[in-house]
Amino acid sequence: MNWYAIQLECLLAILAVVVLLTDAFRPVRDARRIGLILSALVGLTLLYSFTMQPLGEAVFQGMYRLDTLALFFKRLFLLATAFVLLMSAEFVERIEAGRVEFYVLLLLCATGMLVLASANDFILMFVALELVTICFFVLTSYLRRQVPSLEAGTKYLILGALSSGLTVYGIAYLLGITGTANFEKLRAVLTEAPVGEATGLWFGMVLVLAGLGFKIASVPFQVWAPDVYQGAPTPVTAMLAVGSKAAGFVLLMRVLMTGLLPLEPVWGPVVLGLAGASLVYGNLGALPQRDIKRLLGYSSIGHAGYVLMGVAAVNALGVAAVLFYHGQYAFTTLCAFLAIVAVTRVTGRDDIASFAGLHRRAPILGLALFLAMMSLAGVPPLSGFFGKFQLFAAVIDRAQMDARYYWLAGIGAAAVVVSLYFYLNVGRAIYMQSSDRTDAIPVSWPVRVGLWICMGAMIGLGVYQRPLVDAALQAARVFGLE
Amino acid sequence: MVTLNHYLWVSGLLFALGIAGIVLRRNALVIFMALEMNLNAANLALVAFARYNHVVDAQVLVFFIIAIAAAEVAVGLAIIVALFRRKQTVSVDELNSMRL
Repeated sequence: MNWYAIQLECLLAILAVVVLLTDAFRPVRDARRIGLILSALVGLTLLYSFTMQPLGEAVFQGMYRLDTLALFFKRLFLLATAFVLLMSAEFVERIEAGRVEFYVLLLLCATGMLVLASANDFILMFVALELVTICFFVLTSYLRRQVPSLEAGTKYLILGALSSGLTVYGIAYLLGITGTANFEKLRAVLTEAPVGEATGLWFGMVLVLAGLGFKIASVPFQVWAPDVYQGAPTPVTAMLAVGSKAAGFVLLMRVLMTGLLPLEPVWGPVVLGLAGASLVYGNLGALPQRDIKRLLGYSSIGHAGYVLMGVAAVNALGVAAVLFYHGQYAFTTLCAFLAIVAVTRVTGRDDIASFAGLHRRAPILGLALFLAMMSLAGVPPLSGFFGKFQLFAAVIDRAQMDARYYWLAGIGAAAVVVSLYFYLNVGRAIYMQSSDRTDAIPVSWPVRVGLWICMGAMIGLGVYQRPLVDAALQAARVFGLE
Repeated sequence: MVTLNHYLWVSGLLFALGIAGIVLRRNALVIFMALEMNLNAANLALVAFARYNHVVDAQVLVFFIIAIAAAEVAVGLAIIVALFRRKQTVSVDELNSMRL
């Protein structure tokens, strides 16, 4: 057993079990405090992960990789989990029953994501993917007396199970025809054999792509996103937006750029089309929205489009851009959701109109939400601007060889302009509109700390990108692309 | 003589029936049953591949799929029961409280 490779996963799983058993034998009275402690512990795990070194070889019979890419995403997931636990601690009073189990499910979900970041084999990938998905089934429908949460849970259940079915049927064909589930061996087999012959391979590939497309909420597998984002408890929405999406992208890159790289002429145009369609759908769909979580659901579809631009470019620059984008997107999105949790705790409403005059009621929440929206829109000097800049640079680089990519860059640029409208709309509510309610919204110190970290990162990464760019470029080398 | 293709056709038929059930039926329980059929279609394909192409990994995956399907059913039925308690219906057409 190579414990070194799976120590972070083991830590989280043990933590989850310990919390679950403790609550069973000695019921926890102050669930909020437990949430804050867990958040701090996961934060410490994140710091600890920086002492870990990547392993050159895949371990567990080639199933598991602890390379720089895996470490990059593991840190991202740990960061997201720490913040989501912090949000949950603020949110937990709104949950009727099973408050501690809420944390436990989040931790197990995070364990699955950490495994996904390292998966180098279809079987492991499927099992870890299901660990994440089944945890999300429970988490989205956690407010089981509220109709929206139940509806969101049912929709996620049906579409999530459908996507698992598609993925596993695709895996069955890939595995059955090539005889291997390992990504590297699959690549070797596909490089040797003439690709054009087996339609079964294409069929399998399309189905696996469809399943992963669901995870990242890309068109045409996006139908669940707005409803589930709106109905799910807010911390769960944040975990979906940051964790689940990043997990989908790391898998997508490993499957496409390691296992199925020889089939690039086939899937390249498909990813190109998906990117363009997601950009258009997400950004146009967000225009008329009045509920902030639903707005972020559409925005998340649009961002899947931006990130797919980097995947479609299939070059080292594109992969690095995808990684950088995820890094900064995590801070931005977590900042937005943290502010939303703090506001809705008092107002109890999610519609954008209820954020009117927020800068008077709680200046720090107003500022944080405004900065997050501007970073999502890609306004300089915030980190979202540089993230988008890199993605466009990667696509333009690819367009030198293939003129179709100019179209993609054009659609992306148009999408940025359109998105300014609905992001600024939220900013307008915060700063320009007044509301009849002027009582101050209390902000607890853990939330303050979290918000300052996120805002610092958004501005810091916008001004001084070097450290994250270096980390992203180093992790992108895993694929050996030019 | 039964060949690999025969099995794959049957498995494909099961899969198509599952997809049809998900798209056409409006009862959440029936949809859920169709979803499980998709997983079993994959199981059949995997077992057939294991038998004819000698892929042992495929059989391993079948066991994982069976276990995961059981977990999915446990969680899924609980959610559908909770939905029924709250709304007195399991028709997916009634899942429309969230709009614009």
